[in-house]
Amino acid sequence: MNEGTRRRIHLLLRDGAIIAGLGIFLIWTLAPIAWMILTSLLPHRALITRPPDIDPALFTLKNINGVLEDRAVLVDSFINSAIVACATTALALTLGSLAAYAIARLSVPGGNKLMLMVLATQMFPGIVLIIPLFILLSRAHLIDTHIGLVIVYLSFVLPVVMWILKGFFESIPVQLERAAMVDGATTMQTFRLVVLPMSLPPLFAAGVFAFIESWNEFFYAVILTRTEVKTVPIRISEFSGQYRTAYGEMIAAAMIASIPVIIMAIVFRKYILLGFSEGAVKG
Amino acid sequence: MTRIELIDIVKTFGGVNACDGVDLLIEEREFVTLLGPSGCGKSTTLNLIAGLDDVTSGTILMNGKRVNELSPYQRDVAMVFQQYALYPHMTVAENIGFTLRLRKRPKSEIRERVQRVAELLELTALLDRLPRELSGGQQQRVAIGRAVIREPGVFLFDEPFSNLDAALRIRMRSEVRQLHDRLGVTSVFVTHDQEEAMSISDRIAVMRLGKVEQFGTPEEIYSTPVSKYVAQFVGSPRMNILDGELLRSGKQTDFRFGPIVIPLGAQAATIGAIDGNRIELGIRSEHVRIGDSGLPAMVRFVQPIGPETHVTVGWNDTAQTLIARVPGIVRLQPGAQVDVVLDPASMLFFDPETGNRIAGA
Amino acid sequence: MTDTPTGPTLEDRRRRMGYFLVAPAMLVLILVVLFPIIRSLIYSFQSVKPEGGRFRATWVWFDNYRFMGSDPAVRRALRNTIFFTVGEVVLVIGIALTVALLLNHPFGRFGAFRIILLIPWAIAPVANAVLWEWILNGSYGVLNAVLLRLGLISEYKIWLGDAGLALRMVLLADVWKSVPFIALLLLAGLQNIPNYLYRAARLDGATLWQRFRFVTLPGLRTPLTLAVILQTIWAIKVFDLIYVLTKGGPGDRTLMANFLAYRVTFNYLDFGYGAALANAIFLAMLVLSLIYIKVLKPGAPRSRQQT
Repeated sequence: MNEGTRRRIHLLLRDGAIIAGLGIFLIWTLAPIAWMILTSLLPHRALITRPPDIDPALFTLKNINGVLEDRAVLVDSFINSAIVACATTALALTLGSLAAYAIARLSVPGGNKLMLMVLATQMFPGIVLIIPLFILLSRAHLIDTHIGLVIVYLSFVLPVVMWILKGFFESIPVQLERAAMVDGATTMQTFRLVVLPMSLPPLFAAGVFAFIESWNEFFYAVILTRTEVKTVPIRISEFSGQYRTAYGEMIAAAMIASIPVIIMAIVFRKYILLGFSEGAVKG
Repeated sequence: MTRIELIDIVKTFGGVNACDGVDLLIEEREFVTLLGPSGCGKSTTLNLIAGLDDVTSGTILMNGKRVNELSPYQRDVAMVFQQYALYPHMTVAENIGFTLRLRKRPKSEIRERVQRVAELLELTALLDRLPRELSGGQQQRVAIGRAVIREPGVFLFDEPFSNLDAALRIRMRSEVRQLHDRLGVTSVFVTHDQEEAMSISDRIAVMRLGKVEQFGTPEEIYSTPVSKYVAQFVGSPRMNILDGELLRSGKQTDFRFGPIVIPLGAQAATIGAIDGNRIELGIRSEHVRIGDSGLPAMVRFVQPIGPETHVTVGWNDTAQTLIARVPGIVRLQPGAQVDVVLDPASMLFFDPETGNRIAGA
Repeated sequence: MTDTPTGPTLEDRRRRMGYFLVAPAMLVLILVVLFPIIRSLIYSFQSVKPEGGRFRATWVWFDNYRFMGSDPAVRRALRNTIFFTVGEVVLVIGIALTVALLLNHPFGRFGAFRIILLIPWAIAPVANAVLWEWILNGSYGVLNAVLLRLGLISEYKIWLGDAGLALRMVLLADVWKSVPFIALLLLAGLQNIPNYLYRAARLDGATLWQRFRFVTLPGLRTPLTLAVILQTIWAIKVFDLIYVLTKGGPGDRTLMANFLAYRVTFNYLDFGYGAALANAIFLAMLVLSLIYIKVLKPGAPRSRQQT
């Protein structure tokens, strides 16, 4: 076997390894999801067979229908989560972009230290803050309200939004803002008419992150709400307890509850991926 | 048409004086260039005139009024930046009209004035394009348009053509000069390109380490530079500088470098240095001729440029050389013996310690 | 005739505006972060117990912290947390790096792969927990079925009830969910490494492994450090999974520090001790992050050219 052939085999093996790797990746990532979908479509008796009887002929919509019968409750939780997530995102983007701009461009002293502190807030396990927050909210009669949850969610959403946007604002060429100044724009006008329109991608990225984090949050939600503002994650957890052995329905519920966020992630993937690349560069 | 006065301007950045006492008086309608290498303070000075930065100390007057506290807009200045200053999300028309929009002028007025400016700068075909669709030259024209529409008292240019290719630069700079002449607006132009400065300015301020070294017409800068720094900054190829000493014996004054002695003419009497002092002789390449009789020298290097040839000559026993500009393409070989003639009327003398010009020309 | 500036300078005006703009965000953060932290810190030095419908707080200074030293649950939780965190960070970073490398290869350049990655990330942690609870089900779980069919086990196991395996299974569930984020982060980092570095290394005769070691890894320093820090923090913070899957059992085998703090606070209603635990966890994370940053020394973030 000569050098050339050996090299070709080497390369072929390499390519093969990569394809195999990709295959394993696909199986690893998709298997649980596939199983989730299959479980939702299989009747109860198929699921309690050992091994589970995965026969497409048996596919049924009974599980999904069962969940949808309860749908008032599910829809109600969707609405709650939507309200909370949207409000949190809107507030975080508004307050966060203004603050990030101030830190990035308006010589607010201690800007860097501020950002580090802001990042440290990401490290707090919810348990550190929960009791004082609970007391705070109950004194303000905000337990089990949307507003209460939004305020608490801002505690971990706002810093991330500020971090993403600050990095981006710093990368906008100073000349642009100077040109606006020369043209006669005030600071707010520069921000509104020049900086923000240029920042739509990172704004979207920050917004998507904020929305998904708010939607999926469980710990604060379960402790700070009672009956009025049950969000989707709370419902999922309840279904798990409620459907105890109705496995098909339980999984169907979890799946249905997750679909909106998954769709959102796929639709906005461009911005999500942009958020990642900004983060990778600027750490 | 603003008259600008800078009085003892100092600007400090973290312990370093970017501007270290700048004094300048720019008359109405003048076209003044701030010329110098990077770090000399020219861009800083421009930003201070614009009001984009605050002075650390000193006063800026416009038409006799103190403007230190005024914003750029209040100072009635418009600026053309080096790059990246067009609003990328706005069309050309919106870019130019932005300042009017900020002032809440009616849409019809904005449209009409933008149209006029576009015609002036030949941009009418591009009004609906976005900056990223334009070439470098077109972008800078839009930037100029944005400044023109302001009808300001001062135009400020911060190395606007540094990013363009050579041919485009030459064309753009003459367009800017013509625009200035047409509109009659005081203009302050910053560049590191001496040819650019020489070709379009009424007066040039050559800057060095935060101070103005010399402020004069291009002719003054070129022929009567105040120091070696200024002399060598303008003119291409660089002015020849010979490092040697002065020899006086009776009425005769000679300049000696290495083993070579050059007799000096009548103007040598004005040189204050005494016999034996080190002195530097400067002479521009166009004043060094290769002729029939003169100082013997040996050709070291020949560079045909096209319309002329740069011939570098040297001597044994010394490393110093002279560059002569010879018209046409001259076929000389390195090693050939030639005679060089230095025009005595064009000789400049510099103090080796301070770099200042002592006498000559 | 020099003049000192009179009146507010440009800098001053802009800074004033800056304060004004930062204020709302800072106000919110002070309210929901700073204030609770301080309060929590105070609680940790107190004994806060319910008494007839209200709470009574008495100062006990370091007693809570001292008790942590002797509490067997703390020892258990510490052991579990360390095992879990180290395992998670190693596994997630290792797998995520591999995935990122695969997706960076020409074969992996399809958008579909990235979409697939997004799904586990987007699923709510609770939903993930429910899903894995089902997969790991002792009687009917698919993991049992698959492993039995492959001959790797001889009978169905109750994974989450097994003292030895429960924690590993929880680890598996969290690793599965955490890989995508880190993979996407590292992938973005990989794409930022300029091609000509690889070409130059090839010309210098570097092998595949050498190229990885001398071009890829250094180029990934910033995102890798970020990934390690983030993943460590998230591993220590894990809650939703434990809550749904095991509640710390069986017999404290999956008790993690975070869940212990929760249990002490909400089940035992010992707020002071719970606060002490929580603050200790936070302190540990802070120290770890600082150590990481010192040791891994990420490069300065690149920023676009400004004049």
